[in-house]
Amino acid sequence: MKAGFNGAAAVILAAAILYAMQRTTPLYSDIISPVPVAGEQGERIDTRAFALGVGDVHLARIVKTERFGRTRTYTTSGVWVLLEAAAEASRESLTLTSAEWRGPSGVRYTLSQRFSTMPGMLPAERLEPGLPKPVLMAFEVPESELAGGTLLVAPSAFTPLGEEVQVAITQLALGNIRSAVTIRQTGGPMPWVLGAE
Amino acid sequence: MGLGGGVMAKAISQSERRRYWMSLAGLAIALPVAVLVHSWESIAAWRAVNEHDPVMVGREESESYAGAEWRLTTLSRLPSGSAEQVVVLAEFEARIEEPNLLTEGLCAVVLTDAEGRRWQPAFLIEPIVRKMHPEAADKPRCGGLAFRNAGKGGTASMAETFVVPATANGLALSVTVPSARPRYLLFR
Amino acid sequence: MATEQRSTLRHRLFAFLVAGIGGTAAAAASFAMMVYETANPNTIPTIAAGEPIDTGRWIITFHGARIGSAPPTGTKPPEPKNFLMVEFNLDNRSAATSNVFSTLFAIDPPIADLPAPAFYLARDKWIASGVHPRMPEGMIAAWEWPATRPLPRDLRLVVGSQIYKRRDNLYGASGWFDRDPVAAVNLPVTADAIGSAQ
Repeated sequence: MKAGFNGAAAVILAAAILYAMQRTTPLYSDIISPVPVAGEQGERIDTRAFALGVGDVHLARIVKTERFGRTRTYTTSGVWVLLEAAAEASRESLTLTSAEWRGPSGVRYTLSQRFSTMPGMLPAERLEPGLPKPVLMAFEVPESELAGGTLLVAPSAFTPLGEEVQVAITQLALGNIRSAVTIRQTGGPMPWVLGAE
Repeated sequence: MGLGGGVMAKAISQSERRRYWMSLAGLAIALPVAVLVHSWESIAAWRAVNEHDPVMVGREESESYAGAEWRLTTLSRLPSGSAEQVVVLAEFEARIEEPNLLTEGLCAVVLTDAEGRRWQPAFLIEPIVRKMHPEAADKPRCGGLAFRNAGKGGTASMAETFVVPATANGLALSVTVPSARPRYLLFR
Repeated sequence: MATEQRSTLRHRLFAFLVAGIGGTAAAAASFAMMVYETANPNTIPTIAAGEPIDTGRWIITFHGARIGSAPPTGTKPPEPKNFLMVEFNLDNRSAATSNVFSTLFAIDPPIADLPAPAFYLARDKWIASGVHPRMPEGMIAAWEWPATRPLPRDLRLVVGSQIYKRRDNLYGASGWFDRDPVAAVNLPVTADAIGSAQ
């Protein structure tokens, strides 16, 4: 009787241990997730492959692009977030194709592709070692996901164990959401000029 | 009966114990061997695609590589319109002996400097090249097309441009043809 | 010795019996389920246009279908063509921007020679990229209708579904996985301006 009780207890204990192990095993997506390199808006953040520094962040209800004498208007149901930044390759030429805005709730907003052909947009710029380049990023984000947002930038969205820069956006003029911001193509070393309305 | 059984059990346990320890020692050898055998192919494949065997070529010299005779004709710095950066124009040629080795896959051209930084060629020919060296601007990029047009026995003249910081020194041009990996050409 | 042998024999017989009964019961249950499912085919509900459909990853609301001679961009193709356009509202319920809505719904019954539709963002009248979470968008799916086929009068769409698995069965990775269709929609097809391909 006692032996039977001990046996049952051992089986229950083993099941509990196995269940706990199964529950606490890290998700495969976590195991292969990018290695974060944390930083803040306004400072240069270095990874092994590239460096990034985020400058001004502008908020707008409407974005207009001016190019070849044509103006196009882009509306959104959220708020446009335009980030002016500088990026540089560390050892080898590369392109940063993945950028996300992570809101305070953890929801991720991928770079807007709606005017991705404008010059200076991050995924279109080839970065060279030793030559910092101005880059522009645009996101569409609901107003509730603005404050406390983080910018995540990586060379590619699918590289397991690659490095990802996580920039805490600290200076955000939440009370000053412009009705419209215009991106003008210049053709100079600074490929764009922003104009607010 | 009881005594005999005891001796028997002892004898069995001794030989069993020896086998046990032998097996454990065998495992210590077998495990690393198994890991090595399983990963050997991957290691070999990784070594094969990694360029780690440079074929050094000096200025004005030519070298045989991947079925052709290669020579660097120009590696010059051109102004870019900004003080921080320069445009580097590289012109090189290959006298083709075995076209089959060359035309499969893309050839990779990279500019390196003394610090080990690597620049990939610019997507478009920089305007300054067209202005200062119009004949170089019309040359094809390194690749199957240039080799096919030249044909066996012909010479393929190719050009690539790079944008690098003005402070970069010790520039060298590296050319890799996939069929010749892990060997690569390094023009100093 | 003899009693011991008999007892192991009885044990074995008992084990065989239990396994046999279990196996038979499982086979019978599976057969019964198959018979039941064939007798009562799982019909998917038909949802009216304008009603939201919860597909797991997306909430989709169909507004209508029409035939036009120009895609949603408004630029007529050089040679006359007809486009079947379906207007809908799409709400991304997942935690990240996604453009995986191209296989969300399909024409039922499938049309063999129909190329896959292009998806447009209604506000831009341009090819849509990703739809962001918590930001529902008006969208248009446009099929280039083959000239050899008669234009449809009405359209039946079957809407698929996806579920989120925190750990998938293969890798233990999180992701969205396709499930059975959850709804069907019948839309009358209006013709705004039929091209001369007709």
